[in-house]
Amino acid sequence: MTGAADRALGTVPGGPGGPGGVRTSRVLAEARWPEPGDGSPPPLPGFVHSSFAPLVAAVAGRCLRRRTPPAGSRCAVVLVSAAGDRPSADHVRATVAAGGRIGPLFFFQSVPNSVAGHVAARWGLDGPVVCLSPTGNPRADAVAEAELLLHDGDADVALLVLVEHAPDGAPTGAVAVLLGEGTSP
Amino acid sequence: MDEREPVPITGTYAVSALGRGVDAQLDGVLRAAPAFRPVRRFDTTVRRVGVAATLPDVDTLPDELTEAVTAACAAAALTAAHRTGSAFFLATHGGPGTLPGPFRADRPIAVAPEAGRDERGPLPALAGHLARRCGLGGPTRVYTTACVSASTAVADAAALIRRGDRERVVVAAGYLVEPDQFALFDAGRALADDGAVRPFSAGRRGLLLGDGVAAVVLESAGAARRRGASPVAALHGWGRAGDAYHPCQPDPTGRGLARAVGAALRRAGLEPAAVGYVNANATGTGFGDAAEAAALRLALGEHAGRVPVSSTKSVHGHALEASGLLELVVTVQALRHGTLPVNAGWLGPDETCPLDVVTDAPRPAVGRYALSLNAAFGGANTALLVGAP
Repeated sequence: MTGAADRALGTVPGGPGGPGGVRTSRVLAEARWPEPGDGSPPPLPGFVHSSFAPLVAAVAGRCLRRRTPPAGSRCAVVLVSAAGDRPSADHVRATVAAGGRIGPLFFFQSVPNSVAGHVAARWGLDGPVVCLSPTGNPRADAVAEAELLLHDGDADVALLVLVEHAPDGAPTGAVAVLLGEGTSP
Repeated sequence: MDEREPVPITGTYAVSALGRGVDAQLDGVLRAAPAFRPVRRFDTTVRRVGVAATLPDVDTLPDELTEAVTAACAAAALTAAHRTGSAFFLATHGGPGTLPGPFRADRPIAVAPEAGRDERGPLPALAGHLARRCGLGGPTRVYTTACVSASTAVADAAALIRRGDRERVVVAAGYLVEPDQFALFDAGRALADDGAVRPFSAGRRGLLLGDGVAAVVLESAGAARRRGASPVAALHGWGRAGDAYHPCQPDPTGRGLARAVGAALRRAGLEPAAVGYVNANATGTGFGDAAEAAALRLALGEHAGRVPVSSTKSVHGHALEASGLLELVVTVQALRHGTLPVNAGWLGPDETCPLDVVTDAPRPAVGRYALSLNAAFGGANTALLVGAP
C-alpha cells in the first residue's frame, strides 16, 4: 500500500445514492515506474522494439503486488496513453514507406489492447478492457472511465494505467492505480 | 437519477465500400455481394494479400468523420442548441499513419493543407477539432480499444446517459484502409489469402480490411420525447467483459464474450429467446469464430442453435476501430427493414460453429431484438442489444 491508498479520487454526480447522493472511488493501491532505484522495465516476452509494453506490464505488476483485487471481483483494465506505442508505430511506418516487410510481432503489439490483455491474463482481471487517448487530464479521464464502469456494473474494481510520453511520443514513465468503489460521507 | 428506459438511437449514418448512407449499407448487405477489390491506394506487391473493401472516392478521415457526424445529427433533427450540449465520443486508431485520404478512384490525391487545421495532430486534438467543426460542445472522449473501440464508446454513451450525466452523446468512428495496418495484418497472416471472408464457414482463411466511417446519436428517452424526436431504434442493453486469457487470442471457451452478452440481456431485462438476430463479430478466422460460437452457446443456451446469425464483415470487411459502429448501423437497418443479412463467403458448415448461419438469401426478421457483437485483442468483448424504440 502506498500513502495514497484509500484516498478519495473523485466524485460522480447523480450516482446510485440518488438525488443528493455522492459516489466516490477510492485508491486501493498505486505505483509508479520508475520509482527510486528503477532502471528500464524488464523485457516482456512477445513484445519487441519499444518500452511501451514492458512499462505497462511493470507498473501494473508493481501496483497489483501491493494490493490484489478482492477475490471474485471483476477488475477492469483502463489504459490511458496519448501516443500509444509510438516507437513501434513509427518503425512500422518507416518500414512500410521504404517498401519493406514487418516482423509479425509488430502485428500482435499494434494496439494498446495487447499489453492490457497481457496484464489481464497475467493477473486474472476479467472486467472490461478499455484504452483511451486522454482529451483532458489523463488521470481524470481514467478515473471518469473507471467510475462509469463501476457505476454501470460491468466492473467492481479497476486497474488504471497512465503512460507518460516525451514530446516525440516515446514512453517515459507510467502510473498504475487500483481503484475500488467507495461512498463519501 | 438513472433512467431505466432503453436509450433511444435518434440518428445514424455510415459510409463503407457498400456506399454512402444507411440505405446503401442495407442494400449492400442484403445483396450480399462482397465489396472486396484489389487495393490501389498503396502498393501491396510485397504483401501476401492485395485486396480490401475500399470505397473508391473518399475524403480525408477527419472530413469523412465530420460528414458522418453532421449527417447523423441531421437525421436526428438536432438543432444547434441540441448539439451544443452533446458529448462527443470518437473511436479511431492512434498513430501517425492512420489518417489517410483523400482518394479518387481509389488513388491518393494531393491536397494542400488548410491553415489552422490540426487534424493530423494527436487524437485528442482531432476529437476537439471535429467537435468544434460539428458544433458539439460537451465533453469529448477518444477510444483506442482496437476492434471494440466504437462498441465500447456506444456502451459508455448509454451508461453516461442512464446515469444522468448527459442527455445526448454523439458517437463517431472511422477507419479507412491504409498501408500501415494493412502491412501489419498481412505480416500477422491474419488476412484471407483467398480474397474472401467466410465467417463460421468451413475453409475460412482469415479477415479482410474495409473502410468504415459511422456516427450515431444516443439520447435519454426523456430528452428524445421532449423534443419530439423519432428514434430509429433503441439500445436496450449493453455489456463489456474481458477474457483474462491472452494478449491477442480469444478465450476458446468464449467466457468473456458470453459475459458481455449476459450483461446486455440483464440490462434489457430479456431472456435469450428474445434475441431474434445476431450480427456476429466473426472475422473469418478459425479460432476466433469458433470462440464466438462457444460464447453464443454459453450465453444463449439452446437458443444459440436457433437464432439466425451472420457476420456482415463478409460483405463490408473489417473496419477495425469503427467496426462496432458500422455493424450497429447495419443491424439497426436490418431490424427496421425486417430482413436479416446474409453471411457471404459460405462454403459449408464447420462443426466448431454449430449455429444457424444465414447463408443463401436474406431472411425475414422474426424477433424484435438483435445483438451486435465485437471482440478485440486483449480479450476485450462487447455486446450491444438493439430493438424497436
